[in-house]
Amino acid sequence: MSLEQNETVAAPAPIARRRPVALGPAAILALQAAVVIAIIVGMFALNAAAGKLVMPKPTEVLDQSIKLWSDGTMLKALGESVTVIALGFLFSAVSGILLGVLLGGNRLLSRVFDPFVNALNSTPGAAFIPLIIVWFGLYTEAKIVVVWNAALFPILINTAAGIANANRDLVEMGRAFGAKRAMLFWRIMVPDALPSILSGLRIGAAISTVGTVIAELTMAQSGLGGLLAAAGNRFQMDRYFAVVIVLMALGTALTALLRYAERRLGRWRVVQGEGS
Amino acid sequence: MTEKPIISLRNVTKTFKNGAITALQNVSFDVREGEFLSLVGPSGCGKTTLLRVINGLIDIDAGDVLSLGRTPEPGPDLAMVFQSARLLPWLTVSGNIEFVLELRGMGRSERKERAIALLGAVGLRDFADAYAHELSGGMQQRIGLARALAVEPKVLLMDEPFAALDAMTREVLRRELYEMWSRRKMTIVFVTHDIDEAILLSQTIVLLKPRPGRVDGIVSIDLPEPRFAVDPRTYPQFAQYRSHIWQRIQDMAREGTKLEELAGAFPKDDL
Repeated sequence: MSLEQNETVAAPAPIARRRPVALGPAAILALQAAVVIAIIVGMFALNAAAGKLVMPKPTEVLDQSIKLWSDGTMLKALGESVTVIALGFLFSAVSGILLGVLLGGNRLLSRVFDPFVNALNSTPGAAFIPLIIVWFGLYTEAKIVVVWNAALFPILINTAAGIANANRDLVEMGRAFGAKRAMLFWRIMVPDALPSILSGLRIGAAISTVGTVIAELTMAQSGLGGLLAAAGNRFQMDRYFAVVIVLMALGTALTALLRYAERRLGRWRVVQGEGS
Repeated sequence: MTEKPIISLRNVTKTFKNGAITALQNVSFDVREGEFLSLVGPSGCGKTTLLRVINGLIDIDAGDVLSLGRTPEPGPDLAMVFQSARLLPWLTVSGNIEFVLELRGMGRSERKERAIALLGAVGLRDFADAYAHELSGGMQQRIGLARALAVEPKVLLMDEPFAALDAMTREVLRRELYEMWSRRKMTIVFVTHDIDEAILLSQTIVLLKPRPGRVDGIVSIDLPEPRFAVDPRTYPQFAQYRSHIWQRIQDMAREGTKLEELAGAFPKDDL
């Protein structure tokens, strides 16, 4: 895993999901259940063939999950991780949108800072971890800085691009009716950039999760990343898998939440097709 | 013309790309108050540029323009209707109208009330809370027109407003526009490349020729009123105006390159 997945997506992803013509939702669900069963059976088979170090029995993973949840270990770790993700994401969202609005709205600023933003964006976020450790230490606040640093740039770049590429026809319409600069900016260009800003936020949220786990693995071990490292170092693969499942669920939930927000706020853009 | 024109252009010249392209050259004409004037010409004759000059969206390089007696400045006195409606897609229909009322400086509560009243007057009240993408093209353009009328402009500037609509909607909206103009006698400057449309609607047609955009001639249209009592295309005068303007456009084409010559640019051996 690395921090360098800062791809820039200007247009929102299409919401409509591909659906085979002949199969209904129930059939899809049945097929998905079949995949889950296949994975579980596969895990049992691999366990039987290669031993529990290579692949733990799914039943043991379940046992460990129950144990970790009931003694509060998992909940505590989840709380620590969510704190880092949430605060890191919040700071990167606020600063990324503010800086993006500034750079997207001002041609001079954007031309001056463009190479610097690109250079920082192209540097893997993990490269800054040693520096952040020296500056901020090893604990929660330093981890939040790692997440902030990693998630900031996709949000900033998407915001700036969205505003710089705001629909010229709409801006001209506003001017023709007498709108002045501030009005054009806040009432036409920024709302027009909203779908792009939301795409940036979704990418930023995904990177926040990655960044949190990396920070927890490489800095003071804590949270879900810390549990992961501890279990892995002791070859407790059943325990390790129990944590991975929680991370999967967390990442999925976060992405789903932002997709929902994107769909609600960007509703007009999704259906709209062309800027008429 | 003895009365003072509401819009007047004298020797207007406009170039783009640092003088490489001359969009308008020595364009002069007047628009009287209450007149329905059309700018007609093939593409590249600077029709849309002229409209932007009159609105004050772009500056000119030489000559004089006066709109409403002063140097043009965009604002609610000179309302624009565009080829696509250009409604703000994140606002409802009513929100779009409130937006321009706000630019006019109207208070919040008054805006809402007036937008609803206006939509009621044009029979679009049921669509007040709809978003632009939920409406047909013709409906969107109607709202673009309602938005322009909402600010109570002195002049309505229309840039091929019906060009993107289907033929039947276009026919209906032309008639509605003409009847609205007959009642309110507001000044309209209407850009079109459709000869029929220009004759159907205008009192005066300014014919433009392309590359660079110049005035080719000014034609006064006099058709029996009310014009849309029957299909105005059946009036004998309509056919005369049409053949006159058609001939002028054919003459313009003679000055340019013919398609046949363009085709001759490719040696036969290569084909």
